[in-house]
Amino acid sequence: MFGLHKRLWAARPVKSSYDAVIIGGGLHGLATAYFLARDHNITNVAVIEKRFIGFGGSGRNTAIVRANQRTQENLPLYKEALDLWPELTRELDFNLMFHNCGNLNLAHSEAALKAMRLQVASAQFLGIDSRLLDPKECKEVVPALDISGRPRYPITGGMYHPPGGIVRHDAVVWGLAKGCSRRGVHIHQGTEVTGIGFEKGKVAWVDTDRGKIRTPRVLNAAGGYSAGIASRLMGLRLPISVLTIQAMVTQPLKPLLHHVVSSGAYHCYANQTLKGEIVTGAHMDPWPNFTTQTTAAYIKHQAEFVTEFLPCLKGAKFMRIWGGLADMTPDMAPIIDGHVPAEGCFLDCGWGYFGFKSSTVTGRYMARYMATGECPEILQPFALKRFQEHRLMGETAALVDYSANN
Amino acid sequence: MIRLNHLPTLRIKPGVPRSFTYGRRRLQGVEGDTVATALFANGVRVFGRSLKYHRPRGLYSLDGESSNTLVNVDGVPNVCAETTLLADGMCVASQNAFPGPDFDALGFMDALSWAMPAGFYYRMLHKPARLWPLAVPVIRKMAGVGTLAPDFQAPGRRDEIYPAADVCVIGAGVAGMSAALAAAEAGLRVVLFESRPWPGGAFEYRPGAARDGVACFQKTAELAAAVKASPHIRLFLNAPVIGVYSNGLVTAFQRGRSPHPFDERYIEVRAASVVVATGCIERPLLFEHNERPGVMQAGCAHRLARTWGILPGRTAVFSVGHDPGLEAAVDLFDLGVEIAAVADLRQDGLDPALVDALSRRRIPLLRGWSATKAHGRRRVAKVTLAGANGRFRKTLDCDLLVASAGFTPVTGPLTLAGAKLAFDERTGFFLPTCLPPRVHAAGRITGRQDWHAVAASGRLAGLCAIQDNGIDQTAAIGELADALGSLPGPVRGAKFVIAPDSGKKTFICFDEDATVKNVDQAMAKGFNVPELIKRFASVGTGPGQGGIPGHNLPLYVHQSGASPDAQPRPTTVRAPLTPTFLATYAGARLDMSKRTPIHDLQVAAGGRMERLGVWHRARRFSEDVHSREEILSVRTAVGILDASTLGKFRIFGPDAVKVLDRVYVGDMTRVPRTRAKYSAMCNEDGCLIDDGVIVRTGDNDYYLTTSTGRAGVTVEWIRYHTRFDDWDFGIVNLTDAYGVINLAGPEARAVLQRVTDADVSNEAFPFMGYREFAVGEVPLRAMRLGFVGELSFELHVPASWMAYVWNLLMDAGKDFGIRPFGLEAQNTLRLEKGHVIIGSESEQRTTLHDVGLGFLWHRDKPWARTVGDAALRQTEHQPGRLKLVGFRMADPSASPPRDGSVIVDRRIRGYVCTARYSVVLKEPVGLALVEDDSSAKGAPLAIYEDGCGGRLIQAVVTETPFYDPEGLRLRL
Repeated sequence: MFGLHKRLWAARPVKSSYDAVIIGGGLHGLATAYFLARDHNITNVAVIEKRFIGFGGSGRNTAIVRANQRTQENLPLYKEALDLWPELTRELDFNLMFHNCGNLNLAHSEAALKAMRLQVASAQFLGIDSRLLDPKECKEVVPALDISGRPRYPITGGMYHPPGGIVRHDAVVWGLAKGCSRRGVHIHQGTEVTGIGFEKGKVAWVDTDRGKIRTPRVLNAAGGYSAGIASRLMGLRLPISVLTIQAMVTQPLKPLLHHVVSSGAYHCYANQTLKGEIVTGAHMDPWPNFTTQTTAAYIKHQAEFVTEFLPCLKGAKFMRIWGGLADMTPDMAPIIDGHVPAEGCFLDCGWGYFGFKSSTVTGRYMARYMATGECPEILQPFALKRFQEHRLMGETAALVDYSANN
Repeated sequence: MIRLNHLPTLRIKPGVPRSFTYGRRRLQGVEGDTVATALFANGVRVFGRSLKYHRPRGLYSLDGESSNTLVNVDGVPNVCAETTLLADGMCVASQNAFPGPDFDALGFMDALSWAMPAGFYYRMLHKPARLWPLAVPVIRKMAGVGTLAPDFQAPGRRDEIYPAADVCVIGAGVAGMSAALAAAEAGLRVVLFESRPWPGGAFEYRPGAARDGVACFQKTAELAAAVKASPHIRLFLNAPVIGVYSNGLVTAFQRGRSPHPFDERYIEVRAASVVVATGCIERPLLFEHNERPGVMQAGCAHRLARTWGILPGRTAVFSVGHDPGLEAAVDLFDLGVEIAAVADLRQDGLDPALVDALSRRRIPLLRGWSATKAHGRRRVAKVTLAGANGRFRKTLDCDLLVASAGFTPVTGPLTLAGAKLAFDERTGFFLPTCLPPRVHAAGRITGRQDWHAVAASGRLAGLCAIQDNGIDQTAAIGELADALGSLPGPVRGAKFVIAPDSGKKTFICFDEDATVKNVDQAMAKGFNVPELIKRFASVGTGPGQGGIPGHNLPLYVHQSGASPDAQPRPTTVRAPLTPTFLATYAGARLDMSKRTPIHDLQVAAGGRMERLGVWHRARRFSEDVHSREEILSVRTAVGILDASTLGKFRIFGPDAVKVLDRVYVGDMTRVPRTRAKYSAMCNEDGCLIDDGVIVRTGDNDYYLTTSTGRAGVTVEWIRYHTRFDDWDFGIVNLTDAYGVINLAGPEARAVLQRVTDADVSNEAFPFMGYREFAVGEVPLRAMRLGFVGELSFELHVPASWMAYVWNLLMDAGKDFGIRPFGLEAQNTLRLEKGHVIIGSESEQRTTLHDVGLGFLWHRDKPWARTVGDAALRQTEHQPGRLKLVGFRMADPSASPPRDGSVIVDRRIRGYVCTARYSVVLKEPVGLALVEDDSSAKGAPLAIYEDGCGGRLIQAVVTETPFYDPEGLRLRL
């Protein structure tokens, strides 16, 4: 019953050549491999993962999905991503547990309301459901909110986005791995890429600690480690700063929060998993680091902040805190590019903390890019050259500086 | 239940009753009881129901290693009954059971476990697709333990303390106390944390004799008395450590005591050295129904009797794997428990004295045997024991099954500190292979179990901690290490993993109802490392923080051969080591905000204060959200604004001007003494990050202002961008040293002239001039600026004189109708003037050129290597950028569009930054960022507001400023 004793993905020997090699067994890598096989019939593909699949950001994010970004370049991508969860659940025959609970993002100032109005108007113009609420309406949506004048930053309104929600992040990793494996993709865990070889200006092979693999296409989708791989193996310095971002969960509770609630001013969000734990997190360490270490100040601040607007959570207990890496670009939009620095080299990195919600849809278009060699229109704005031209994407309104000089 | 009330080890006061309610029952405990022991003493055996299968769960351990005894106390969910001291009048209620734990309507779930294999939710409930949305609310209701109401108000008071220490010792058992005493004898300040309400740890209740013939509990009590007497040791009882971080940072919290159980205190210690002496908990024994009420660990059964005077059962069967288990059997027999049999996992290595003691009491001892199954529905009634190969078995009646596979060290604090663990063959423990600097492990955590050896290892760690503090202890350490070598070393641990023939209800994790069968299922799916099995099968991710499965899961996975690792590998331990209320972490809710020097005057004048960043600022001074009166007073008479939040800096030194040239886009080499220069800072992308004025106050001495938001980062910014230059300059942040008053309006001069002898006429003090003079004898710095578009004086006043000068001006302005204005009025005033506020009329990607301030850029100062210079060149005429434009409504009688509305044709072309109705101009005006091909004067703008349903608002690009385009009013 339930295919109990069938492995989700097969362990196979490393072949000497593949049609495509994907560095990173996270969501972006697995999704790209899956769509290469599904949409382009390129099944002779290897996903190379140094640790185990889902070890990095894919297993450490807080599983929130939404399509209420700031710019028209980003909005359609995330919109399509939302539509993909049910489709993939069916196709992979693996319950990704998309819980369409909706997201409420709180504003605590006039300026924040203005920033939200831009997001809401943009979303509405593009046909995405997103609305502004006043504090009372916010409280109707989330009764646990404190809309009084007591908090340091009283709630002035909110941006309500019904199509969003949460997805079980581990399930997506495992479901995609299952789908990949069923379609013939090889997943090599515990394998490290140590070099990329070029011949005549084209990618020719990758070196791994389990041997050399010839391939005409390499995708760098190594998440927090992608900038390092680009630098060491591709000779490419990406404008990426890597920072540890922490998240934590409380003990499981009976249903209390029915939406994802977030607040920019307090730098935190909270949502309740289907298991009942309340997940919260948000801001990053104030300086670049690869440690994934958690800090005493963070968990304390998180408790202070989240209980400012959700005071009932004072009665919940934190049970676990963990850290992951966010690969931040200067404009909080990813770097998606192909044939840099050489033909056959592809980049899908710099996702910061948006990597989860975008994973499957990016994989779909990246697969098309790798299969056809032509960049799909929807990915074109994310090319690396925008930084050389000083044309930032505007995905964040505020000035951000994640580099070491901040 | 009658308590044993003459034991010397009791921690209760049998004569001091404490009454409480449990559900509808009124019960009585005694002082010293925890909620769990009080319930147990009152005959409660089923404390709650498990998460998934709603199996009855009882008292298994006493330090909160599982979620078995989570209860609701006074409305607070998920309170651990084992670690919460009973207070008079407490209302205790069970959780996750309806109508109650003894009979639970969902008890049938246990029979459906076949339908819930590991990860079943990934493979079910999504076919057909419409099933899932219906299933979600049901799953959510079934999941979760404990209910928190949306309007819940946390009881209790909290505070937070940050004591300093030379040595922080975690665990006040024999080792921890020995370490603390050693360090205290050297005069070091010691902080000692103990999670139980009293010191003593594992030896605190044990009557067995130590090597010197004295009972363990007595020797331990002597140590505790010495600790309490030491002036150098600060002992925190009831204070579990929750986090250990690099460089000796340790966090803990102290639980409230009776009668205020919810008063909690957050504690953070930074110590030069950390000693981890957390001892061991017991490793659960894996067999069928190993979590039935009536099954408990050896320490739990023993402590119930010795510490709380409660006999844990009438007839007991023991299935243990360690000497303290045998000791408990002997002692409980002597206290009146009938012992049907003692099975020991070990064939040899048993303490001969204890074996002898058992046989003298005619207690049958079965070597190499273990429990394989507990019988009984709601509590244990019988137990089946079997030999190692499963061939011999016998079933015995009992109401108590003491089960333990041995010990498991509490290494959480060590791994959080950065220690790496490896499997140790002798002890069967995961032990640290190397410790981080200035972190030491001592006591039972190392596998030692002998009182004297534990004490000596504690003392040794104490000496190492002294050494860490710079006091040489080499000789003493060597001596003590030798002495320790002659004492009994780490004890051999039982190799046992799981009882033979264990069935499908052998629980590896109680919190999440995960059985070994679930682990098998996960492994069959291809999950081969404990870290992944933990996630897939939900093992050890519950409230017990892995206390139950932490040791057994890696052993079991390794034994199964699925893991690629040569040795068992532990799963990751994460903070907090003990679940901690958010209320406790939040602590005293300290708020670090700033008030301007005249905050109170603003409030008294009717200022509506708002928290903006770190500052409290006045948004407006009336109910009118448009602040029209304030605007009119500035335009027609005089207004006064508290602008103290502006960043203010002094830069001085021979190279100061080079610094300014580096970070400002303008040419700073020729700032005259009497003029204020307006300029801007860009980042490397040429994007506008700050604007302000610079004045020269002396030779190589400059004073400058930044926007409020940049005040905190300006010193770093400047230092960073000059870090390779070795320039000689100093920079001082004067933001809080000066307040700023902006006196603006056609009557501003008349008001100012009344309070100063200085000549402030237009000739003597023209527009953009800078002067230093006194107002009412207060020396201040004055600039003639025009942000709001009127004759204005910006007065920089020493902070302590701000109130005086403000009052002086208010008095002087009375005849002119002076009134304070706030940020809202300022926003409209500067909008009419077309002036930008960074962050409002610019976003992250907006360059100096984009907002029309390109004229500030001095392109010919290559020596300066101005930050952003290259980008400013590259983007100067770059097409396709968003440009700042002014606009008026196509229909002047229309309302202004709301800020943030987008400008569209077929796509989004830009957005409205700020738009307001101008009382002075009698029409709405606004500023917008739009694509350059729509930015020419006269270009139509179609504005899409949220909720407009597709009805666009029409506007037209116009020139700015809207008000006083010639700037005559600034130069009055």
